[in-house]
Amino acid sequence: MLLAENTARARALAGGTDLVVDLKHAPGDVDLLVDVSQLPEFGGIGETEEGLRIGSMVTFSELMASPIVNQMTPEIVAASHTVGAVQTRNLGTIGGNLVTCVPSADSAPSLLALDAIVTIAGSDGKRSVPLEKFFVGPRKTILEPHELLVEILIPKKNLGKPSHFIKFGLRKGQALALVNVAAALYLNDDGTVAEPRIALGAVAPTPMFARKAEASLDGKKPDEENLLEAARVAVSEIKPIDDFRASANYRRHLVQTLTYRALKRSTEIASEH
Amino acid sequence: MIVKLKVNGEIRSADVSPETTLLKLLREHLNLTGAKLGCDVGDCGTCTVIVDGKSVNSCLMLAGRASGREVTTIEGLASSEQLHPLQETFEELGALQCGFCGPGMIISAKALLDKNPEPTVFEVRDALSGNLCRCTGYTKIIEAVLDAGRIMSTAEAKS
Amino acid sequence: MATKTKEVLESKVKDSEIEDLTAPDNLKVPAKPALKPVVVPVDKPVVYPLDLPESEIRLRTPAVGQRASRPDGRLHGLGQTQYIDDMTFPHMIFAKILRSEHAHAKILSIDTSEAETMPGVLATLTGAEIPVNSFGPTLQDQPVLANEIVRHAGDGVAAVAALTEQQASDALSKIKVKYKPLPAVFDPLEAIKDDAPKVHAPRSNIYASKTIKKGDVEKALKKSDQVFHKQFKTQMVEHVPLEPHSSVAMWDANGRVTIYSSLGRITLGRDDLARTLGKPMNKIRLVGTIVGGNFGGKNEITTEPILAILSKKTGRPVKGTFTRGDEFISSTTRHPFVMDYTTGVKKDGQILGRKIRLVLDGGSYCSWTSTTLGKGGILAAGPYDIANLLVEAHAVYTNKTTTGAMRGFGAPQVCFAYESHMDDMAHALGIDPLEMRLRNAFNEGSVSPTGQLLQSVAIKESLQQAAERFGWKESTK
Ligand code: FES
Ligand code: FES
Repeated sequence: MLLAENTARARALAGGTDLVVDLKHAPGDVDLLVDVSQLPEFGGIGETEEGLRIGSMVTFSELMASPIVNQMTPEIVAASHTVGAVQTRNLGTIGGNLVTCVPSADSAPSLLALDAIVTIAGSDGKRSVPLEKFFVGPRKTILEPHELLVEILIPKKNLGKPSHFIKFGLRKGQALALVNVAAALYLNDDGTVAEPRIALGAVAPTPMFARKAEASLDGKKPDEENLLEAARVAVSEIKPIDDFRASANYRRHLVQTLTYRALKRSTEIASEH
Repeated sequence: MIVKLKVNGEIRSADVSPETTLLKLLREHLNLTGAKLGCDVGDCGTCTVIVDGKSVNSCLMLAGRASGREVTTIEGLASSEQLHPLQETFEELGALQCGFCGPGMIISAKALLDKNPEPTVFEVRDALSGNLCRCTGYTKIIEAVLDAGRIMSTAEAKS
Repeated sequence: MATKTKEVLESKVKDSEIEDLTAPDNLKVPAKPALKPVVVPVDKPVVYPLDLPESEIRLRTPAVGQRASRPDGRLHGLGQTQYIDDMTFPHMIFAKILRSEHAHAKILSIDTSEAETMPGVLATLTGAEIPVNSFGPTLQDQPVLANEIVRHAGDGVAAVAALTEQQASDALSKIKVKYKPLPAVFDPLEAIKDDAPKVHAPRSNIYASKTIKKGDVEKALKKSDQVFHKQFKTQMVEHVPLEPHSSVAMWDANGRVTIYSSLGRITLGRDDLARTLGKPMNKIRLVGTIVGGNFGGKNEITTEPILAILSKKTGRPVKGTFTRGDEFISSTTRHPFVMDYTTGVKKDGQILGRKIRLVLDGGSYCSWTSTTLGKGGILAAGPYDIANLLVEAHAVYTNKTTTGAMRGFGAPQVCFAYESHMDDMAHALGIDPLEMRLRNAFNEGSVSPTGQLLQSVAIKESLQQAAERFGWKESTK
């Protein structure tokens, strides 16, 4: 309610690992901070009828320590581990990471790859959208000023879906991703690929799916050639930029290599099952 | 706003403006200058303290949020008779050169050893990845943490 | 799938089982996540200073062959070391500096009047108020606060002192500076061209040069079986000391100035302070304490004169600590080098002659450039006996962050070049890179490029021993 009444200069405070820094750089921009991190509706991890529910204010450390998450969606644990360092993971929340919506948000690709759905609450009620639709542009989501991200749902059918996440940064710790890749897929009884997902980060204005690459692999045998082809198609879908961390060309190269590896590993996990 | 919290076992309170970080509260209001300001944006780890058992960047935590919680800073590790094993091994192995990273480094290491007294080298590196040091090259720091872990687990086994 | 999920959940995963997951080692949750309570010495409150016995190792030093420990190690570990920013003085206030966003511009006007009316602000300062507005360890070409021209984005143009750091920062945004942007130059090779914008007009951008000559290099190159040429470049590097620059200045009623500073060279600092404040040196007391990382970046004054004058204006101790951002844009950095190496060799790998041109990106002000130029030049040929040598080194101004001292003063840059060059040549000649070095390295009694007779030369033995220990032969098979 406070947020609804004071939309222009109010911000909801989650873990603070981004917002507190913003406040220091532009102290005049915010008049009202509403700490939502301790609200019970925004916390907790648990299984529901629909799937695995993760409260938006769950910290990365909590995700990593959660037996259910480790068991059901290990790639979300892997992705959480690549966020910042211990201290920032103890503060930073998965919801905050999504709402800040930087192209390189580490939590996005592995959630996208599992077709995560986000629930948003505002002064006019609740709504749910696929995570893909949540991102609008760099630092821009579909959230209206009076709305908050409440929870993230991994649909039941995707719990345990073979998946692999790879972050490529300049260093192992405390680095922003040059490229993030998450893949997920099932194998049909005849060994062909079903429901492939390829989610990419840091190579377009928002985290994205490589839809054409997915289509190119759907129903095919996951052999060397088809995986490489999918990786090549993924490169054609991205819009990477040149910046001081890496050139666009290098990012293209990474996307191809890492997409291939993520698909390959996902296939291996799938055939182990 | 008044912030009341437990710091190193003592109840402390201070009247701070809302944008005050826990780091500023500790350093400027409570005169606990062990936690340092190295970057103020969560990158260097010199400001690391333990809040309710978890290490955090105190430069990223608003003081208001620490209200009612239990904070341990570097000043709370030694007793009047004894150094914390980490303080001993850091001193003896030369893991502190200019020392500016030291308090944050030791607090991060303590947060690790409290949960996992016998970490692998990899686990130590991972636990300290949010603490930068420009002097030592980290080798001695990692040795000191492993050593302190050994001391702590033998002490525990005895007791 | 669904039933499997349920089973797993119903079995209520025990902590100890988590280890069996296929997650890589690093992702495993430690077996016993139960938190041990934080041990806080409540019953025995800590009183500093602690009176504990010295550690055994500490008592063993100094002695050759013993492990050394630092005398200040214990206080560091206790968090009791007082760095400058940990100090506080009664009635202390805080200063912040407004920095130029332009790489090169003429300052048309600076208006601090609105900033002065901001809450908590006690004083402002511009360059015009500084008695002698220039300093530098070699050339005094750097203004304390720029008041005519800014020469890089990061040059200080005005300062504010206020009751809190936040108030001082807020007030900075109310200072109005009018600039007329000037053409800027960023590439040292562009900067040496005649038509390049002049960083310190009307002076040439080349502000220091050094030449070292030995034998007849042209003749040697002609006599060589093969001549190699390559250009090497290195980048700018910031020291990133974990402790940002920090000082506190107090101007007392007798006109004496006391400054606590994270500066590493206090005598030099007093000299620069005496100059800029227009005071005899005996009126200036500079207290250096433990420095939280220097690496060459804290070898000259930065904001000390500003703080001193703000203290004079307000009658209060004034503290100024760099933000990490200040540290990157306005402290000194390592010089980028552009290095052209031309080397003539015989077929067997013996170097007959070498010609080197070094161009140092000197940034906007001299700082320790001359020292870097000297050392870089002297060491540019490497530890090799080269009878015919020509080294030409130039330092040039560019509209970039000031470059100054950093560990090695130019030695790492040239080392990167001559050793890479050596590898390239060895490769082209089909000679083992170690052999190539052994064939050319200094011997006992060799003469250095500057004519120094070398003694205790052990480079060949060192290389051979090292190669043996890390299995060079085996690894190159
Ligand atoms: S000061 Fe908090 S992380 Fe650097
Ligand atoms: S000892 Fe100087 S930064 Fe670590």
